[in-house]
Amino acid sequence: MTRHDIPWLSAAETAVAIKTKQVSPVEVVQAYLARIEQFDGQLHAYITVMREEALAAARQAEQTVLRGGDVGPLFGVPVAVKDQFWTRGILTTNGSRVYRDFVPDADATVITRLQQAGTILLGKLNLSELAMGGTQEPPWGIPRNPWDRERTPGESSSGSGVALAAHLCAASVGEDTGGSGRSPASYCSAVGLRPTCTRVSRYGMTPMCWYLDTAAPMTKTVQDCALILGAIAGYDPRDPFTSRRPVPDYTARFGRGLRGIRLGLIRELDEDAGMHPEVKQAIHNAVEVLRQQGAEVHEVSIPLVALAGAIFVGVADTEGAGARDDVLRTRAAELDRASRTRLQAAALVPAKVYNRALKARVLLRQQFLEALRHVDVLVSATAPAPPPKHTALTAPFVNADDVRSRFFFRRAYTGCYALTALPAISIPGGFTTDNLPIGLQLGARPFAEELLLGVAHAYEQATPWHTRRAPGIEE
Amino acid sequence: MALSKEERCRELAQLVGIPLMEAEVAEVAERFESLMRELERLTQLDLAHIQPVLVFPEEEAQL
Repeated sequence: MTRHDIPWLSAAETAVAIKTKQVSPVEVVQAYLARIEQFDGQLHAYITVMREEALAAARQAEQTVLRGGDVGPLFGVPVAVKDQFWTRGILTTNGSRVYRDFVPDADATVITRLQQAGTILLGKLNLSELAMGGTQEPPWGIPRNPWDRERTPGESSSGSGVALAAHLCAASVGEDTGGSGRSPASYCSAVGLRPTCTRVSRYGMTPMCWYLDTAAPMTKTVQDCALILGAIAGYDPRDPFTSRRPVPDYTARFGRGLRGIRLGLIRELDEDAGMHPEVKQAIHNAVEVLRQQGAEVHEVSIPLVALAGAIFVGVADTEGAGARDDVLRTRAAELDRASRTRLQAAALVPAKVYNRALKARVLLRQQFLEALRHVDVLVSATAPAPPPKHTALTAPFVNADDVRSRFFFRRAYTGCYALTALPAISIPGGFTTDNLPIGLQLGARPFAEELLLGVAHAYEQATPWHTRRAPGIEE
Repeated sequence: MALSKEERCRELAQLVGIPLMEAEVAEVAERFESLMRELERLTQLDLAHIQPVLVFPEEEAQL
Protein backbone atom coordinates (compact mmCIF):
# COMPACT_ATOMS: atom_id res chain seq x y z
CA MET A 1 0.00 0.00 0.00
CA THR A 2 1.35 3.46 -0.91
CA ARG A 3 0.73 6.82 0.73
CA HIS A 4 -1.61 7.67 -2.14
CA ASP A 5 -3.91 4.74 -1.33
CA ILE A 6 -4.42 5.66 2.33
CA PRO A 7 -6.98 8.51 2.14
CA TRP A 8 -9.36 6.41 0.03
CA LEU A 9 -9.72 3.83 2.80
CA SER A 10 -12.63 3.87 5.20
CA ALA A 11 -11.85 4.44 8.88
CA ALA A 12 -12.31 0.74 9.61
CA GLU A 13 -10.00 -0.24 6.74
CA THR A 14 -7.43 2.28 7.92
CA ALA A 15 -7.42 0.78 11.42
CA VAL A 16 -6.97 -2.72 10.00
CA ALA A 17 -4.11 -1.53 7.80
CA ILE A 18 -2.43 -0.04 10.88
CA LYS A 19 -3.04 -3.07 13.05
CA THR A 20 -1.61 -5.41 10.43
CA LYS A 21 1.35 -3.05 9.94
CA GLN A 22 0.64 -2.43 6.27
CA VAL A 23 0.96 1.25 7.12
CA SER A 24 2.09 3.16 10.18
CA PRO A 25 -0.06 5.78 11.94
CA VAL A 26 2.56 8.37 11.00
CA GLU A 27 2.23 7.53 7.31
CA VAL A 28 -1.54 7.76 7.61
CA VAL A 29 -1.47 11.18 9.23
CA GLN A 30 1.13 12.44 6.76
CA ALA A 31 -1.03 11.25 3.87
CA TYR A 32 -4.02 13.21 5.11
CA LEU A 33 -1.95 16.29 5.93
CA ALA A 34 -0.60 16.25 2.37
CA ARG A 35 -4.14 16.19 0.97
CA ILE A 36 -5.24 18.98 3.30
CA GLU A 37 -2.25 20.99 2.11
CA GLN A 38 -3.18 20.35 -1.52
CA PHE A 39 -6.94 20.86 -1.44
CA ASP A 40 -8.11 22.74 1.60
CA GLY A 41 -7.03 26.13 0.30
CA GLN A 42 -9.84 25.79 -2.25
CA LEU A 43 -12.40 23.83 -0.23
CA HIS A 44 -12.23 25.50 3.22
CA ALA A 45 -13.13 22.40 5.19
CA TYR A 46 -10.79 23.21 8.06
CA ILE A 47 -10.59 26.15 10.43
CA THR A 48 -7.64 24.73 12.37
CA VAL A 49 -5.29 21.99 11.19
CA MET A 50 -3.54 20.43 14.20
CA ARG A 51 -0.49 19.34 12.25
CA GLU A 52 2.09 19.06 15.03
CA GLU A 53 -0.34 17.60 17.59
CA ALA A 54 -1.52 14.98 15.07
CA LEU A 55 2.01 13.97 14.12
CA ALA A 56 3.01 13.68 17.78
CA ALA A 57 -0.02 11.51 18.51
CA ALA A 58 0.76 9.39 15.44
CA ARG A 59 4.33 8.79 16.60
CA GLN A 60 3.01 7.68 19.96
CA ALA A 61 0.49 5.38 18.27
CA GLU A 62 3.26 3.93 16.15
CA GLN A 63 5.14 2.93 19.29
CA THR A 64 2.01 1.22 20.62
CA VAL A 65 1.67 -0.81 17.42
CA LEU A 66 5.36 -1.75 17.43
CA ARG A 67 5.09 -2.85 21.08
CA GLY A 68 2.15 -5.07 20.12
CA GLY A 69 -0.15 -3.04 22.35
CA ASP A 70 -3.91 -3.32 22.45
CA VAL A 71 -5.41 -1.55 19.43
CA GLY A 72 -9.14 -1.22 18.77
CA PRO A 73 -11.19 -0.84 15.58
CA LEU A 74 -10.49 2.90 15.33
CA PHE A 75 -6.87 2.90 16.50
CA GLY A 76 -4.70 5.36 14.59
CA VAL A 77 -7.58 6.69 12.50
CA PRO A 78 -7.31 10.43 11.70
CA VAL A 79 -10.54 12.20 12.58
CA ALA A 80 -11.61 15.84 12.43
CA VAL A 81 -14.43 17.45 14.37
CA LYS A 82 -16.79 20.34 13.86
CA ASP A 83 -15.32 23.44 15.49
CA GLN A 84 -18.16 23.42 17.98
CA PHE A 85 -16.50 20.82 20.22
CA TRP A 86 -14.22 22.20 22.89
CA THR A 87 -10.60 21.20 22.58
CA ARG A 88 -8.34 22.02 25.50
CA GLY A 89 -5.74 24.59 24.48
CA ILE A 90 -6.99 24.68 20.86
CA LEU A 91 -9.03 27.49 19.30
CA THR A 92 -12.76 26.67 19.16
CA THR A 93 -14.52 29.26 17.03
CA ASN A 94 -18.07 27.95 16.65
CA GLY A 95 -17.77 29.50 13.21
CA SER A 96 -18.21 32.98 14.65
CA ARG A 97 -16.09 36.07 15.08
CA VAL A 98 -17.61 36.27 18.55
CA TYR A 99 -15.52 33.22 19.47
CA ARG A 100 -12.44 34.03 17.40
CA ASP A 101 -10.25 33.99 20.55
CA PHE A 102 -12.01 31.24 22.50
CA VAL A 103 -9.55 28.60 23.70
CA PRO A 104 -11.32 26.14 26.05
CA ASP A 105 -9.59 24.82 29.13
CA ALA A 106 -11.30 21.43 28.84
CA ASP A 107 -12.05 18.85 26.18
CA ALA A 108 -15.59 17.97 25.18
CA THR A 109 -16.51 14.43 26.24
CA VAL A 110 -16.74 13.50 22.55
CA ILE A 111 -13.11 14.53 22.11
CA THR A 112 -12.02 12.57 25.18
CA ARG A 113 -13.81 9.44 23.99
CA LEU A 114 -12.44 9.71 20.46
CA GLN A 115 -8.97 9.86 21.97
CA GLN A 116 -9.70 6.91 24.26
CA ALA A 117 -10.67 4.94 21.14
CA GLY A 118 -7.21 5.65 19.76
CA THR A 119 -8.19 8.08 17.02
CA ILE A 120 -5.91 10.96 16.11
CA LEU A 121 -7.39 14.45 15.93
CA LEU A 122 -6.36 16.13 12.67
CA GLY A 123 -8.15 19.40 13.22
CA LYS A 124 -11.28 21.48 13.66
CA LEU A 125 -13.78 21.83 10.83
CA ASN A 126 -15.64 24.77 9.35
CA LEU A 127 -19.31 25.34 10.17
CA SER A 128 -22.08 27.85 9.72
CA GLU A 129 -21.97 30.51 12.38
CA LEU A 130 -23.10 29.22 15.79
CA ALA A 131 -24.24 26.00 14.08
CA MET A 132 -27.25 27.83 12.62
CA GLY A 133 -26.96 27.80 8.85
CA GLY A 134 -27.33 30.56 6.29
CA THR A 135 -24.07 32.38 7.05
CA GLN A 136 -23.46 34.85 4.22
CA GLU A 137 -19.76 35.53 4.78
CA PRO A 138 -18.16 32.71 6.77
CA PRO A 139 -15.12 34.16 8.56
CA TRP A 140 -12.96 31.14 7.71
CA GLY A 141 -13.99 30.89 4.06
CA ILE A 142 -16.98 29.48 2.19
CA PRO A 143 -16.92 25.68 2.47
CA ARG A 144 -17.10 24.29 -1.07
CA ASN A 145 -18.96 21.14 -2.00
CA PRO A 146 -16.41 18.88 -3.75
CA TRP A 147 -19.17 17.52 -6.02
CA ASP A 148 -19.76 21.03 -7.39
CA ARG A 149 -17.85 23.87 -5.82
CA GLU A 150 -20.53 26.42 -6.66
CA ARG A 151 -22.96 24.52 -4.47
CA THR A 152 -23.41 24.32 -0.73
CA PRO A 153 -22.06 21.28 1.08
CA GLY A 154 -25.01 21.57 3.47
CA GLU A 155 -25.22 23.18 6.89
CA SER A 156 -24.19 23.54 9.56
CA SER A 157 -21.53 20.79 9.80
CA SER A 158 -20.35 21.94 6.39
CA GLY A 159 -16.66 21.25 6.92
CA SER A 160 -17.38 17.66 7.96
CA GLY A 161 -19.25 17.00 4.71
CA VAL A 162 -16.52 18.63 2.63
CA ALA A 163 -13.68 16.84 4.42
CA LEU A 164 -15.32 13.45 3.94
CA ALA A 165 -16.20 14.01 0.28
CA ALA A 166 -12.68 15.23 -0.47
CA HIS A 167 -11.03 12.57 1.75
CA LEU A 168 -9.37 15.14 3.98
CA CYS A 169 -10.09 13.04 7.09
CA ALA A 170 -11.00 9.41 7.63
CA ALA A 171 -14.03 10.16 9.79
CA SER A 172 -15.67 13.10 11.51
CA VAL A 173 -18.02 14.09 14.26
CA GLY A 174 -20.35 16.94 13.43
CA GLU A 175 -23.36 18.15 15.33
CA ASP A 176 -27.06 17.96 14.50
CA THR A 177 -29.63 20.37 15.93
CA GLY A 178 -32.16 20.14 13.10
CA GLY A 179 -30.27 18.37 10.35
CA SER A 180 -26.83 19.91 10.64
CA GLY A 181 -25.18 16.50 10.39
CA ARG A 182 -27.55 14.79 7.97
CA SER A 183 -27.86 17.68 5.52
CA PRO A 184 -24.11 17.90 4.75
CA ALA A 185 -23.98 14.10 4.61
CA SER A 186 -26.78 14.16 2.02
CA TYR A 187 -25.26 16.95 -0.06
CA CYS A 188 -21.76 15.46 0.05
CA SER A 189 -22.64 11.75 -0.42
CA ALA A 190 -21.49 10.76 3.05
CA VAL A 191 -23.08 9.06 6.04
CA GLY A 192 -24.48 11.22 8.84
CA LEU A 193 -26.22 9.96 11.94
CA ARG A 194 -28.37 11.84 14.41
CA PRO A 195 -28.46 9.55 17.46
CA THR A 196 -31.24 9.51 20.01
CA CYS A 197 -30.94 12.82 21.81
CA THR A 198 -29.58 11.49 25.11
CA ARG A 199 -27.28 8.86 23.61
CA VAL A 200 -24.11 10.98 23.38
CA SER A 201 -22.83 13.51 25.91
CA ARG A 202 -23.15 17.15 25.00
CA TYR A 203 -20.58 18.28 27.54
CA GLY A 204 -18.22 20.69 25.83
CA MET A 205 -20.37 21.07 22.71
CA THR A 206 -21.32 24.72 22.36
CA PRO A 207 -25.13 24.74 22.30
CA MET A 208 -27.42 26.01 19.58
CA CYS A 209 -30.63 24.71 21.22
CA TRP A 210 -29.62 22.59 24.19
CA TYR A 211 -32.49 20.09 24.13
CA LEU A 212 -32.23 19.44 20.39
CA ASP A 213 -28.45 19.36 19.93
CA THR A 214 -26.70 16.03 19.42
CA ALA A 215 -23.23 15.00 18.38
CA ALA A 216 -23.42 13.47 14.90
CA PRO A 217 -21.02 10.82 13.62
CA MET A 218 -20.24 11.62 9.97
CA THR A 219 -18.31 9.09 7.96
CA LYS A 220 -17.49 7.56 4.59
CA THR A 221 -19.30 4.29 5.34
CA VAL A 222 -22.05 2.93 7.57
CA GLN A 223 -19.59 0.64 9.34
CA ASP A 224 -17.43 3.65 10.26
CA CYS A 225 -20.53 5.41 11.56
CA ALA A 226 -21.33 2.44 13.81
CA LEU A 227 -17.78 2.39 15.15
CA ILE A 228 -17.68 6.12 15.85
CA LEU A 229 -21.06 6.01 17.60
CA GLY A 230 -19.89 3.08 19.70
CA ALA A 231 -16.83 5.09 20.72
CA ILE A 232 -18.64 8.27 21.78
CA ALA A 233 -22.00 7.00 23.14
CA GLY A 234 -22.82 6.34 26.76
CA TYR A 235 -23.53 7.96 30.09
CA ASP A 236 -21.48 10.96 31.14
CA PRO A 237 -21.89 12.49 34.59
CA ARG A 238 -20.96 15.87 33.09
CA ASP A 239 -24.14 15.72 30.98
CA PRO A 240 -26.81 14.47 33.38
CA PHE A 241 -29.31 14.02 30.54
CA THR A 242 -27.27 11.22 28.95
CA SER A 243 -28.86 7.78 29.10
CA ARG A 244 -27.47 5.07 31.39
CA ARG A 245 -28.42 2.36 28.89
CA PRO A 246 -25.52 0.13 27.93
CA VAL A 247 -23.88 0.89 24.60
CA PRO A 248 -24.45 -2.04 22.23
CA ASP A 249 -22.29 -3.25 19.38
CA TYR A 250 -23.74 -1.10 16.63
CA THR A 251 -22.45 -3.45 13.93
CA ALA A 252 -24.36 -6.39 15.39
CA ARG A 253 -27.06 -6.43 12.71
CA PHE A 254 -24.72 -6.16 9.76
CA GLY A 255 -25.12 -9.00 7.26
CA ARG A 256 -28.36 -10.28 8.74
CA GLY A 257 -30.60 -9.20 5.86
CA LEU A 258 -33.87 -7.34 6.09
CA ARG A 259 -36.42 -10.16 6.26
CA GLY A 260 -39.16 -9.17 8.68
CA ILE A 261 -38.19 -5.51 8.78
CA ARG A 262 -41.17 -3.19 8.14
CA LEU A 263 -40.38 0.02 6.31
CA GLY A 264 -42.69 3.03 6.24
CA LEU A 265 -42.43 5.58 3.45
CA ILE A 266 -43.62 8.89 4.91
CA ARG A 267 -46.49 9.91 2.61
CA GLU A 268 -46.50 13.64 3.35
CA LEU A 269 -42.83 13.99 2.43
CA ASP A 270 -43.03 11.63 -0.53
CA GLU A 271 -45.95 13.55 -2.01
CA ASP A 272 -44.39 16.96 -1.47
CA ALA A 273 -45.01 18.92 -4.66
CA GLY A 274 -41.72 20.73 -4.17
CA MET A 275 -39.63 17.59 -4.32
CA HIS A 276 -37.15 17.36 -7.17
CA PRO A 277 -38.28 14.54 -9.51
CA GLU A 278 -34.87 12.86 -9.54
CA VAL A 279 -34.78 12.86 -5.74
CA LYS A 280 -38.23 11.31 -5.60
CA GLN A 281 -37.25 8.65 -8.12
CA ALA A 282 -34.05 7.87 -6.20
CA ILE A 283 -36.00 7.33 -2.99
CA HIS A 284 -38.45 5.02 -4.74
CA ASN A 285 -35.52 3.11 -6.24
CA ALA A 286 -33.99 2.82 -2.79
CA VAL A 287 -37.21 1.46 -1.34
CA GLU A 288 -37.22 -1.17 -4.09
CA VAL A 289 -33.64 -2.17 -3.23
CA LEU A 290 -34.66 -2.60 0.41
CA ARG A 291 -37.75 -4.57 -0.60
CA GLN A 292 -35.62 -6.93 -2.68
CA GLN A 293 -33.60 -7.66 0.43
CA GLY A 294 -36.65 -8.86 2.29
CA ALA A 295 -38.10 -5.72 3.86
CA GLU A 296 -41.86 -5.17 3.85
CA VAL A 297 -42.75 -1.73 2.53
CA HIS A 298 -45.71 0.26 3.77
CA GLU A 299 -46.85 3.85 3.46
CA VAL A 300 -47.37 5.79 6.68
CA SER A 301 -49.00 9.12 7.36
CA ILE A 302 -47.57 11.69 9.77
CA PRO A 303 -49.90 14.66 9.18
CA LEU A 304 -47.94 17.22 11.17
CA VAL A 305 -44.63 16.57 9.44
CA ALA A 306 -45.33 19.23 6.82
CA LEU A 307 -45.27 21.82 9.60
CA ALA A 308 -42.10 20.47 11.18
CA GLY A 309 -39.95 23.16 9.56
CA ALA A 310 -42.00 25.95 11.08
CA ILE A 311 -42.14 24.22 14.46
CA PHE A 312 -38.40 23.67 14.33
CA VAL A 313 -37.60 27.30 13.60
CA GLY A 314 -40.12 28.45 16.21
CA VAL A 315 -38.50 26.26 18.83
CA ALA A 316 -34.80 26.24 17.96
CA ASP A 317 -34.35 29.83 16.84
CA THR A 318 -36.33 31.22 19.75
CA GLU A 319 -34.41 29.12 22.26
CA GLY A 320 -31.16 29.98 20.46
CA ALA A 321 -31.93 33.69 20.58
CA GLY A 322 -32.63 33.46 24.31
CA ALA A 323 -29.38 31.63 24.90
CA ARG A 324 -27.50 34.30 22.90
CA ASP A 325 -29.14 37.24 24.62
CA ASP A 326 -25.82 38.63 25.84
CA VAL A 327 -24.39 38.48 22.32
CA LEU A 328 -27.48 40.15 20.83
CA ARG A 329 -27.32 42.93 23.38
CA THR A 330 -23.62 43.69 23.32
CA ARG A 331 -21.80 42.02 20.40
CA ALA A 332 -24.36 41.72 17.63
CA ALA A 333 -22.15 43.66 15.22
CA GLU A 334 -19.63 40.81 15.28
CA LEU A 335 -22.19 38.33 13.97
CA ASP A 336 -22.69 37.60 10.30
CA ARG A 337 -25.63 39.63 9.00
CA ALA A 338 -27.79 36.55 8.33
CA SER A 339 -27.21 35.10 11.81
CA ARG A 340 -27.79 38.47 13.42
CA THR A 341 -31.09 39.25 11.74
CA ARG A 342 -32.34 35.67 12.15
CA LEU A 343 -31.60 35.65 15.89
CA GLN A 344 -32.94 39.16 16.36
CA ALA A 345 -36.22 38.19 14.70
CA ALA A 346 -36.48 35.06 16.86
CA ALA A 347 -35.81 37.12 20.00
CA LEU A 348 -39.07 38.98 19.38
CA VAL A 349 -41.28 35.87 19.38
CA PRO A 350 -43.85 36.08 22.23
CA ALA A 351 -43.73 33.44 24.95
CA LYS A 352 -47.18 32.09 24.09
CA VAL A 353 -46.09 31.42 20.50
CA TYR A 354 -42.92 29.63 21.67
CA ASN A 355 -45.03 27.61 24.09
CA ARG A 356 -47.38 26.60 21.27
CA ALA A 357 -44.45 25.49 19.13
CA LEU A 358 -43.14 23.37 22.03
CA LYS A 359 -46.55 21.71 22.38
CA ALA A 360 -46.75 21.10 18.63
CA ARG A 361 -43.35 19.41 18.93
CA VAL A 362 -44.78 16.98 21.47
CA LEU A 363 -47.78 16.29 19.23
CA LEU A 364 -45.42 15.62 16.33
CA ARG A 365 -43.54 13.12 18.49
CA GLN A 366 -46.79 11.37 19.35
CA GLN A 367 -47.55 11.02 15.63
CA PHE A 368 -44.08 9.62 14.93
CA LEU A 369 -44.29 7.12 17.79
CA GLU A 370 -47.72 6.05 16.57
CA ALA A 371 -46.33 5.43 13.08
CA LEU A 372 -43.46 3.46 14.63
CA ARG A 373 -45.93 1.09 16.27
CA HIS A 374 -46.72 -0.18 12.78
CA VAL A 375 -43.33 -0.05 11.09
CA ASP A 376 -39.72 -0.42 12.25
CA VAL A 377 -37.98 2.13 10.06
CA LEU A 378 -39.25 5.32 8.41
CA VAL A 379 -38.02 6.29 4.97
CA SER A 380 -37.79 9.61 3.14
CA ALA A 381 -35.36 11.81 1.31
CA THR A 382 -32.95 13.72 3.54
CA ALA A 383 -33.56 16.85 1.48
CA PRO A 384 -36.20 17.56 -1.16
CA ALA A 385 -33.65 18.68 -3.74
CA PRO A 386 -29.97 18.29 -4.58
CA PRO A 387 -27.53 20.82 -3.07
CA PRO A 388 -28.45 24.36 -4.14
CA LYS A 389 -25.94 26.94 -5.26
CA HIS A 390 -24.34 29.05 -2.56
CA THR A 391 -26.01 32.11 -4.01
CA ALA A 392 -29.45 30.54 -3.68
CA LEU A 393 -28.98 30.29 0.08
CA THR A 394 -28.05 33.88 0.58
CA ALA A 395 -30.42 35.52 -1.93
CA PRO A 396 -33.13 37.74 -0.38
CA PHE A 397 -36.58 36.19 -0.01
CA VAL A 398 -39.03 37.54 -2.58
CA ASN A 399 -42.36 36.68 -0.92
CA ALA A 400 -44.04 34.51 1.72
CA ASP A 401 -44.18 31.44 -0.53
CA ASP A 402 -40.48 31.79 -1.20
CA VAL A 403 -39.79 31.96 2.53
CA ARG A 404 -41.98 28.93 3.13
CA SER A 405 -40.32 26.75 0.51
CA ARG A 406 -36.70 27.91 0.98
CA PHE A 407 -36.55 28.45 4.70
CA PHE A 408 -39.27 26.44 6.43
CA PHE A 409 -40.33 23.48 4.32
CA ARG A 410 -36.90 22.02 3.53
CA ARG A 411 -36.25 21.96 7.27
CA ALA A 412 -39.22 19.63 7.73
CA TYR A 413 -37.28 16.68 6.29
CA THR A 414 -34.55 16.63 8.89
CA GLY A 415 -36.10 18.87 11.55
CA CYS A 416 -38.86 16.34 12.24
CA TYR A 417 -36.41 13.86 13.77
CA ALA A 418 -34.68 16.56 15.77
CA LEU A 419 -37.95 17.77 17.22
CA THR A 420 -39.06 14.26 18.10
CA ALA A 421 -35.68 13.25 19.59
CA LEU A 422 -35.60 10.14 17.39
CA PRO A 423 -32.53 8.70 15.71
CA ALA A 424 -32.14 9.18 11.96
CA ILE A 425 -29.43 8.55 9.45
CA SER A 426 -28.64 9.94 6.01
CA ILE A 427 -26.77 7.66 3.63
CA PRO A 428 -25.79 8.03 -0.01
CA GLY A 429 -28.96 7.26 -2.00
CA GLY A 430 -27.91 8.00 -5.56
CA PHE A 431 -27.02 10.88 -7.85
CA THR A 432 -28.85 13.19 -10.21
CA THR A 433 -28.01 13.16 -13.90
CA ASP A 434 -25.80 16.18 -13.07
CA ASN A 435 -23.78 14.00 -10.67
CA LEU A 436 -25.13 15.70 -7.56
CA PRO A 437 -25.59 13.56 -4.43
CA ILE A 438 -28.99 12.48 -3.13
CA GLY A 439 -29.44 11.45 0.51
CA LEU A 440 -31.66 8.62 1.71
CA GLN A 441 -32.93 9.20 5.24
CA LEU A 442 -33.99 6.43 7.61
CA GLY A 443 -35.50 7.01 11.05
CA ALA A 444 -36.44 4.74 13.92
CA ARG A 445 -37.75 4.61 17.46
CA PRO A 446 -35.66 5.87 20.40
CA PHE A 447 -32.37 4.00 20.93
CA ALA A 448 -32.90 1.86 17.80
CA GLU A 449 -29.58 2.95 16.28
CA GLU A 450 -28.49 -0.67 15.95
CA LEU A 451 -31.50 -1.44 13.73
CA LEU A 452 -31.09 1.79 11.81
CA LEU A 453 -27.43 1.09 11.08
CA GLY A 454 -28.24 -2.50 10.11
CA VAL A 455 -30.77 -1.38 7.50
CA ALA A 456 -28.44 1.39 6.29
CA HIS A 457 -25.59 -1.09 5.96
CA ALA A 458 -27.74 -3.53 3.96
CA TYR A 459 -28.68 -0.75 1.54
CA GLU A 460 -25.12 0.52 1.27
CA GLN A 461 -23.76 -2.92 0.47
CA ALA A 462 -26.37 -3.41 -2.26
CA THR A 463 -25.62 -0.11 -4.02
CA PRO A 464 -22.51 1.55 -5.48
CA TRP A 465 -23.09 5.13 -4.32
CA HIS A 466 -20.55 5.19 -1.48
CA THR A 467 -17.74 4.17 -3.84
CA ARG A 468 -18.17 7.10 -6.24
CA ARG A 469 -15.57 9.87 -5.97
CA ALA A 470 -16.14 13.58 -6.34
CA PRO A 471 -14.50 15.17 -9.40
CA GLY A 472 -11.18 16.96 -9.11
CA ILE A 473 -9.97 15.49 -5.84
CA GLU A 474 -7.39 13.06 -7.21
CA GLU A 475 -3.83 14.00 -6.30
CA MET B 1 -53.34 53.77 13.37
CA ALA B 2 -51.79 50.35 12.82
CA LEU B 3 -48.04 50.10 13.12
CA SER B 4 -45.99 49.17 10.07
CA LYS B 5 -43.98 45.92 10.16
CA GLU B 6 -40.82 47.90 10.78
CA GLU B 7 -42.36 50.03 13.55
CA ARG B 8 -43.73 46.96 15.30
CA CYS B 9 -40.34 45.30 15.07
CA ARG B 10 -38.54 48.36 16.48
CA GLU B 11 -41.01 48.52 19.35
CA LEU B 12 -40.68 44.85 20.24
CA ALA B 13 -36.90 45.00 20.00
CA GLN B 14 -36.87 47.94 22.35
CA LEU B 15 -39.08 46.08 24.82
CA VAL B 16 -36.78 43.05 24.92
CA GLY B 17 -33.65 45.21 24.95
CA ILE B 18 -32.20 44.08 21.61
CA PRO B 19 -30.58 46.92 19.66
CA LEU B 20 -31.22 46.73 15.91
CA MET B 21 -29.14 48.29 13.14
CA GLU B 22 -31.30 50.79 11.31
CA ALA B 23 -30.21 49.47 7.91
CA GLU B 24 -31.40 46.00 8.89
CA VAL B 25 -34.75 46.77 10.49
CA ALA B 26 -36.66 45.87 7.32
CA GLU B 27 -34.87 42.51 7.09
CA VAL B 28 -35.50 41.65 10.75
CA ALA B 29 -39.14 42.70 10.33
CA GLU B 30 -39.54 40.50 7.25
CA ARG B 31 -38.01 37.51 9.04
CA PHE B 32 -40.15 38.08 12.12
CA GLU B 33 -43.36 38.42 10.09
CA SER B 34 -42.55 35.25 8.14
CA LEU B 35 -41.87 33.31 11.31
CA MET B 36 -45.05 34.52 12.97
CA ARG B 37 -47.05 33.75 9.83
CA GLU B 38 -45.78 30.17 9.78
CA LEU B 39 -46.31 29.69 13.49
CA GLU B 40 -49.83 31.06 13.15
CA ARG B 41 -50.65 27.80 11.38
CA LEU B 42 -50.14 26.00 14.68
CA THR B 43 -53.22 27.69 16.14
CA GLN B 44 -55.30 25.19 14.15
CA LEU B 45 -53.97 22.32 16.28
CA ASP B 46 -55.64 21.01 19.41
CA LEU B 47 -52.82 21.34 21.92
CA ALA B 48 -54.92 21.85 25.04
CA HIS B 49 -53.86 18.65 26.81
CA ILE B 50 -50.21 18.59 25.80
CA GLN B 51 -47.39 19.44 28.18
CA PRO B 52 -44.53 21.28 26.45
CA VAL B 53 -41.73 19.05 27.79
CA LEU B 54 -38.20 19.65 26.60
CA VAL B 55 -36.61 16.25 27.25
CA PHE B 56 -38.72 13.14 26.73
CA PRO B 57 -38.89 10.37 29.34
CA GLU B 58 -36.82 7.35 28.44
CA GLU B 59 -39.76 5.02 29.12
CA GLU B 60 -41.32 6.26 25.89
CA ALA B 61 -38.67 4.27 24.07
CA GLN B 62 -40.55 1.09 24.98
CA LEU B 63 -43.14 0.80 22.25
